[in-house]
Amino acid sequence: MLNRSQLSWSLLALSLNFGYASAQEPQGQDTTELARLRAQIEAITRELEELRLGREVVARADSSILGFGPAASKVYRGQEGVSLGGYGEVLYENFSASRQDGQLSGRTDQLDALRAIVYVGYKFNDRLIFNSEIEFEHAHTGQGGVVEMEFAYVDYRISPQFGLRAGLLLLPLGILNEQHEPPTFFGARRTDVETAIIPSTWRENGIGVFGSLGDLSYRAYLVNGFDAVGGGSSRAGGFSASGLRGGRQSGARAIAEDFALALRADYTGVLGLTLGAGTYYGEAGQGRTLPAGFGSGTLDAPTYIWELHALYQARGLDLRALYVRAGVGDVAALNAARGLTGSASIGERLEGWYLQAGYDILRGTRSAHQLAPFVRYEKLNTQARVPAGFTADPANDQRIVTLGLSWKPIFQVALKADYQIRRNQARTAVNQFNAAISYLF
Amino acid sequence: MALAVALGTTSTLQAAQQRLTQEQALRLAFPEPARIERMTAFLSQADLERAREIAGPGVEIRSSVITYYLGRRGGEILGAAYFDRHRVRTLDEVLMIVVGPDDRIKHIEVLRFAEPPEYRPPEGWLRQLQDRALDDELSLKGAIVNLTGATLTSQAVVQAARRVLALHRVIAPFAR
Repeated sequence: MLNRSQLSWSLLALSLNFGYASAQEPQGQDTTELARLRAQIEAITRELEELRLGREVVARADSSILGFGPAASKVYRGQEGVSLGGYGEVLYENFSASRQDGQLSGRTDQLDALRAIVYVGYKFNDRLIFNSEIEFEHAHTGQGGVVEMEFAYVDYRISPQFGLRAGLLLLPLGILNEQHEPPTFFGARRTDVETAIIPSTWRENGIGVFGSLGDLSYRAYLVNGFDAVGGGSSRAGGFSASGLRGGRQSGARAIAEDFALALRADYTGVLGLTLGAGTYYGEAGQGRTLPAGFGSGTLDAPTYIWELHALYQARGLDLRALYVRAGVGDVAALNAARGLTGSASIGERLEGWYLQAGYDILRGTRSAHQLAPFVRYEKLNTQARVPAGFTADPANDQRIVTLGLSWKPIFQVALKADYQIRRNQARTAVNQFNAAISYLF
Repeated sequence: MALAVALGTTSTLQAAQQRLTQEQALRLAFPEPARIERMTAFLSQADLERAREIAGPGVEIRSSVITYYLGRRGGEILGAAYFDRHRVRTLDEVLMIVVGPDDRIKHIEVLRFAEPPEYRPPEGWLRQLQDRALDDELSLKGAIVNLTGATLTSQAVVQAARRVLALHRVIAPFAR
């Protein structure tokens, strides 16, 4: 088979011959020669087309390859194999010298190679696909950095309507948890709501189903539950007053005494609009016994999260809204098991929402660049309710206004800068300026 | 009419099979008894530069040898079908884009999509490209709405559409 370079030279030579022949009156021998040259050009352009589009596309449906019968040849028509991708971000955080109440903040500015991610996938065939995300955080494992699997699963896609998925799964809640590649969202940092209450990036081991029914897509997973207590053999840190984040087991020798169900559905019937909801329910005690003073038996710690989200992305506009509420049971016992007292209590109810709007001001131009100012308002409280005998820390009742700008020379690269005006009920919040360079490929 | 019939059958076939060969796709665009003629255009450097200019920034046009397929029924030209293979993220997609006698897109078919299936452009999304001509509205900054969660797919499809329409304008197959 000719390679592209050889083909190009052959085509050039043939075109020149063809041009010369066309300039003459084709008679006798010339007519035969012309027909031969035409046939050669036809053969070469077919070969070129096959090289470009792939043999499996150009091949006739009933043809054979490598001497196998048509059905046995199928494997050679596939586009299977390894795929690589990735994303990353370097984040600069500059904190205000003073807190909301005028006291010194004591915060240290930071410039962090926050994330560098490699996606590795393998397509066995059209139905069976392996996909994984390997994350390097904070650049150096000797200085607090970590290497983690963010997800690693196998899909068995039976039809567009129904597939099976198993492995280390991203929980299908909220906007950012499944789509957390930095150029895809505004702000140098992820939203606080989708960090503290939906603990992005949140992944657990499990099995589930997924698919699309017309304009409705769904995912339903059964996964190991949170570990609300943490410690001991668990890699989790446990729930805290600042949210559920510490309860993630992240697939690392996860304790699987308690399981949870996570469901999500999205409607995309209107172009540019996504309306969706997600929910999670499961016990988080992971088989531990109740602490002294709380009777006998196991600590259940039932935990739920439900959220509603909406996105509209069209004509330069990017609008997002999310509401989330979470609840934890047996909090007094959990506090006792974790040694938490007073205002350090885990929240019995956690609540948060945000609204965000951005607009590409270069939309009216032919430039491929995007330049989008945006504004986001967030409100969250990780101790919206605490059990009797405990108090809520007013510092966990927060409001954040983020004003920022995102510049993308191409979609996959974003330079983002924003200023966050942070307020909390304890008046201890610290404003900050953030900037980040991020990419995906 | 033939195109309308073809469009009506696309969803069923696409749902049934995630892969199409070139031959199958052409028959979707130009059902029997339409005749399909294979044509090849050899572009000059000036033609290539003109096509790049028409296509706009960010749209790559490399090859000067363009194969396309004319659909005819009797003396009537039904359209010209072009096949475009391009990178989405790290893997490729192959599209058939059919341009009608009015030089507008009449039909887009996904023949291969090697990225994960959730990033595949759904038929409802592709429909917004139908009857589009090559103008500033044929852009994610124009009238084309982004595919939420699959922006690279949206970009790849829109760029392919602009590339094909630009080449189509330079080749002018219906005037030949």
